[in-house]
Amino acid sequence: MSSPALADFLDASVRSATPLLLAALGETVAERSGVINVGIEGTIIAGCLAGLVAATVVGPNAALLAAGIAGIGIALIFVVVAIGLAADQIITGTAITMLGLGLTSTLYRVIYGDGGAALSAPTLSVIGIPLLQDIPVVGRALFRQPLPTYLAELMVPAIWYWLHRTQSGLAIRATGENPGASLASGISTRRVQTTAVLFGGMCGGLAGGTLVLAQVGTFTEGMSAGRGFVAIAIVALGRWHPVGVAMAALVFGMASALQFLFQALNLNLPYQIFLALPYLLTLLALALTRGVYRAPAALGARKAVRG
Amino acid sequence: MSAPAPRLALVGIRRQYGPVIALDAASLTVQRGEVHALLGENGAGKSTMMKIVFGLEQPDAGTIHIDGDSAHIRSPRHAMRQGISMVQQHFALVDALTVAENVALGGTARLDLDATRAHIRELSAASGLPIDPDARVRDLTVGAQQRLEIIKALSRDTTILILDEPTAVLAPQEARELLTWMRRFATNGGTVILVAHKLREVLSVADRITVLRKGRTVFTGHARDTTESSLADAMLGGPDMSSADARVIGATRAHSRQAGHSSSSAKTRDVLVLTGVGVDDAQGVQRLRDVNVTVRAGEIVGVAAVEGAGQQELLRVMAGRTTPTRGTATLPSDVGFAPEDRHRDAIVLDATITENVALKGAGRRHGIIPWSALRDATRTLMRLRDVRAGDAQAAVRTLSGGNQQKLVLGRELSGSPEALVVESPTRGLDIRATADVHAALRAARDQGTAVIVYSSDLDEVLALADRVIVVAEGHVREVAADRDTVGRAMLAPADR
Repeated sequence: MSSPALADFLDASVRSATPLLLAALGETVAERSGVINVGIEGTIIAGCLAGLVAATVVGPNAALLAAGIAGIGIALIFVVVAIGLAADQIITGTAITMLGLGLTSTLYRVIYGDGGAALSAPTLSVIGIPLLQDIPVVGRALFRQPLPTYLAELMVPAIWYWLHRTQSGLAIRATGENPGASLASGISTRRVQTTAVLFGGMCGGLAGGTLVLAQVGTFTEGMSAGRGFVAIAIVALGRWHPVGVAMAALVFGMASALQFLFQALNLNLPYQIFLALPYLLTLLALALTRGVYRAPAALGARKAVRG
Repeated sequence: MSAPAPRLALVGIRRQYGPVIALDAASLTVQRGEVHALLGENGAGKSTMMKIVFGLEQPDAGTIHIDGDSAHIRSPRHAMRQGISMVQQHFALVDALTVAENVALGGTARLDLDATRAHIRELSAASGLPIDPDARVRDLTVGAQQRLEIIKALSRDTTILILDEPTAVLAPQEARELLTWMRRFATNGGTVILVAHKLREVLSVADRITVLRKGRTVFTGHARDTTESSLADAMLGGPDMSSADARVIGATRAHSRQAGHSSSSAKTRDVLVLTGVGVDDAQGVQRLRDVNVTVRAGEIVGVAAVEGAGQQELLRVMAGRTTPTRGTATLPSDVGFAPEDRHRDAIVLDATITENVALKGAGRRHGIIPWSALRDATRTLMRLRDVRAGDAQAAVRTLSGGNQQKLVLGRELSGSPEALVVESPTRGLDIRATADVHAALRAARDQGTAVIVYSSDLDEVLALADRVIVVAEGHVREVAADRDTVGRAMLAPADR
């Protein structure tokens, strides 16, 4: 592979990985608190639409913020139903995904008419870091990216610090492992889980905003295209640890980039093979590393404890 | 100068759960710097009283005073602010976290694990309770987990420490160390409330003792003025069984004895034989030691024990659910088992009655399920066992506790097993259902089944049993079936 082609490939990998990483980091925090939010897909698509609408009004940077807020709004529904009313988390999350997809399609048509004119929004510009961006092969992938990529990269150490070095991070991990003991230690497990899920919603919204504002430049119905579910797989592959999640997101990013590369190289292989690859990898990783690292013990527990 | 106000005083405490009165005019006075033991039989109200002190339960009546001031303890958090901590029998620790993280949990200050580690080392050195701040809780022994619970309490400036059956899970050496620590904590001005069963242990460490019986405080005094015998008298009381269920049990007891004699002479084949059986738990602690028991056809053997004495393990060995670590258990091929926690271990609440009946032996069968035959069999079983429900297709959740238990017993007895092991068969049942369950157990006995019954209610054991065996600290022996002998045997193992 020539080095410009490799540089293209790495650049495409990082770009594809960015929304996945954002969504997966948010889901990591939620899952560490014991809540599995399969409604993340719904928060991503909400972020997409909010990003588009806001971008046409206030410009792309503020639109990214709007996307995050839209994600929090969707996550709030999950909080009320799954944490407040202690409904089943998987069912609630599934319903919220459906709601997000349906609601965005409806709103999009209400706002832009039945045709759903292919609007194009102002997009985020690429920020190049002087000198570093000129490093051969990896320079462009690492140091010439739009804002959300840098944001996602900074969130990796930040979330690690939050979970492992702060009182509220300790409360999140403890709640995910043993809500009963956490409650006995004077922690409000509901408040902890609410915070974690809302943070996850914000990250999902940002992921959606990234898709529209840094990549596609427009909204299409169902454009989240299963990224929420991919994010959940990434969390498992990354073993619920921010650094592992970052690496797993990159693996998925590379797999998407591969299909472009192979199409460009005119290889006679169905590109779907490369789409399936990361999932096979996830299954393999889950099966082989069983017991070494594990999911939070109380993940998905319904009605953990009142508190 | 007048005497200082007691550190903690409970006066006229009453707590009622539905029709059951757990505490009635109970009192407790604990002085600063003493180890105060709280004694009582199973169900005497000890745990309820401690839950009230720790803010987990609220009393229906009565007052609590701390250092002479009236106090209202709303929650564990509130109790901890007043210096009260409780180490419960089931530890409240997060397995996946380290020792230091568990201690820091729930704190309000900025998280500083280095400072927490240093603080733990300090507390550990000062209290003589060794613990590694960086160890993961799941890698700790039970003894170390308990030390961690105590360190956690100490890190919150605890001055009143409640220990609920702290030595039940410990090896003898660990138990001795804990008692020594308690003594020192009290000498240094701390206050310990020790909830316990083992009289010898209590007498070796306590300054004063309070005894509860049936929710009332029946004795308070200095440990030096008591003996194992006088404490047992206070705990067991005289034959003053005045409650309604005691009358029912008393009435059926006479019947039991008659039936027992008529049948035991006829069938004396050995059905279930344990020889030199020992069981160790996951931590390697011996839960049963050198158990030799024989149960014959057509008799009810009652098992009496205080909580955690090893009876759970004994029953599971007898039911073929646990393989002994040592020794041999000769069991019949078909043993029915009705475990204590029905909802967890015996039935699927949301499945139908028929489906629950079909569960018995399901692991050994193959092929297509003959549902219509099973439905008929279930209807017959329901009629035979007087299980009252709309239909065989009703969800088990819709049945009353009594009917659920009759269903479990009926299922376990279907196919006339040679032995039936039953654990706390009437827990949570009303008088009527209790009588039905007792009748079912006697009927099984009369048909030649070897029946083993454990109940935390000693009167129930005595009412049902033809013979009584007592489990105490892992040792099993047969004793005469009278209340006083059995009660004393439960509290102290014979040969030590």
